[in-house]
Amino acid sequence: MLNLKIAFRNLLRARRRSILTGLSMAFGYLLASLSLSLAEGSYAGIIDLFTRDHTGHVQIHKGDYLDRPSINKQIKNVDDLVARLDSAPQVVGVSPRILAPSLAYLGDKSVIANVIGIDPQREKNTTRLAEKLSKGSYLTGRPNADGYDIIMVGQGIVDSLKLNLGDELVLIGQGAEGSIANDVLVVGAIVGTKDSYEKQHIYMSRDAAERYLYMGGSAHEIAILTRDYADARPVADEITQQLSDPELSIDPWQVVEKTFYESMQADKMGNYVSVGLIMLMVSIGVLNTVLMSTLERTREFGLLKAIGTRPRQIFYMILTETVVLASFGSLAGAILALPINGYFTDHGILMPEPMEVGGIPFDRIVAEVSFVTMVLPALLVVVTAAMVALLPGIRAARVTPVRALGSF
Amino acid sequence: MTVIIKTDKLSRHYGKGNVMVKALDGVDLEIDSGEFTAIVGPSGSGKTTLLQLIGGLDKPTSGDVYLKGTKVSAMAPGALSDFRRDHIGFIFQAFNLIPVLTAQENVEYIMLLQNRPKAERHEKAMSILESVGLKDMASRRPAEMSGGQQQRVAVARALASEPDIILADEPTANLDSKTGADLIDLMKEFNEKSGVTFVFSTHDTKIMERAKRLVRLVDGRISEDIRQ
Repeated sequence: MLNLKIAFRNLLRARRRSILTGLSMAFGYLLASLSLSLAEGSYAGIIDLFTRDHTGHVQIHKGDYLDRPSINKQIKNVDDLVARLDSAPQVVGVSPRILAPSLAYLGDKSVIANVIGIDPQREKNTTRLAEKLSKGSYLTGRPNADGYDIIMVGQGIVDSLKLNLGDELVLIGQGAEGSIANDVLVVGAIVGTKDSYEKQHIYMSRDAAERYLYMGGSAHEIAILTRDYADARPVADEITQQLSDPELSIDPWQVVEKTFYESMQADKMGNYVSVGLIMLMVSIGVLNTVLMSTLERTREFGLLKAIGTRPRQIFYMILTETVVLASFGSLAGAILALPINGYFTDHGILMPEPMEVGGIPFDRIVAEVSFVTMVLPALLVVVTAAMVALLPGIRAARVTPVRALGSF
Repeated sequence: MTVIIKTDKLSRHYGKGNVMVKALDGVDLEIDSGEFTAIVGPSGSGKTTLLQLIGGLDKPTSGDVYLKGTKVSAMAPGALSDFRRDHIGFIFQAFNLIPVLTAQENVEYIMLLQNRPKAERHEKAMSILESVGLKDMASRRPAEMSGGQQQRVAVARALASEPDIILADEPTANLDSKTGADLIDLMKEFNEKSGVTFVFSTHDTKIMERAKRLVRLVDGRISEDIRQ
């Protein structure tokens, strides 16, 4: 307690210097916190946008379907599996999908299309597909009055084939039994834009896809939405344990969208480098202060050693002073940062030109108030200051009483 | 009486070759427990060097220092720190109190180093401050006290760890003659009451008269050793 008192009083002794150093620490905290807050908020927004767009947070496939897709790598008894997944506590949406590349014909024009068979209601609960319709109506799962199955077509295919709502489109692909699959379907909706993820997609109900591809109750993919994208890994592990089926690969979005995830991580690393530079600037100021303070008090350290203070205790004294100052600096920084981060969390910063992340437009940078954005900068400031204080601390601890005191 | 301080051919030389200064040159000295000894001599005679070596603040060039039979000149730095803390009290010419601590906290600090309980530290600090006549100034910091008061706090601090020996280097040098004499009387009173051994350096003749033993140094050697 007395040591802490000494630390406080020594800081108050050179009040102006301590305030200036504390302010530089507070400013460093503020910059680091704001930088992390905007970055984390943006990442969170982008990841949420990306995963809710089509990927979901966890996906289930048969074996190595993700790396080597094949129509015959099917998840069997899908409805039973989906029912089991529905009951998992952290799962909020489960959407089984049938996937098959096909050729789409209209008149004398053809185009490659990714056919995706979905359960319309389940897909609506899992991704934002239903929100991306530019024309027409979302799938109901029922054929039209003439008995034709309805499809939703991506804008890329619409542009290539000059499609309109109500047009009849012929699909040809490989069926599950190795036979040729073909069907005539009616365009009921147009999805996305010419640049969006689903530009080459054709969505139909799972029943229609089963008929088209002879799937017999199987699917190629099950997309799962959890309460929070951050829970993806533990939920994937939990589901793996629950299902304990070695034939199934259950992967979080970080594995499913590996390229996207790695680019996010690289971007994050760049941001950490910026935070590191901020800390470097802070550390130069702190080093200057601590060095000056210890040099001025050389005689005092000599006295302390003379009367029996161990070098280690003097070292801790310097460290305590620095950590106390850094803690107050961080506290002041947090008081400044909290309302600023809060404002940007609520209002965000509108980008003049929206940027595209993985085919998804991103138009607003939003901040985040979290452990990473509020506590991490404080830890960084305190740890950086403590590290910077090591050298002056060692110097103070090594003071020779006779030399430091001059006489005696 | 038992010998509490013993120096054996103690020498301390600074520099080398032609510029070598022999601050102490083969000093043999024995001080008994409970003595009130003044080390006297002109400036540069080696008084401070002798006290520094006895106090384990410096290493001799040759020879040894024994305190209570322990060879302090050969002790490792950590052990020496602990030895100083528990067995030696220091009073400095320039008072050297910790400026950010009050009088009471300055006295308590050394007991904190000895890991004594807070209540005991507090009680003892107040009791010693009372005995040096500074109970009312316990909450004052050094900058709020006169030189004489600061030096009395330094005496209190030196006594707080219950040392066997108190070493004082020119304790009255920065005080006026009356305050200086009062301080020496205070030290003498503690020496007589508690039996703690005092060794102090001075070149003030009025102060010397109050010592029970005078050890005179000239050019780093003992030229005279008088018990008064």
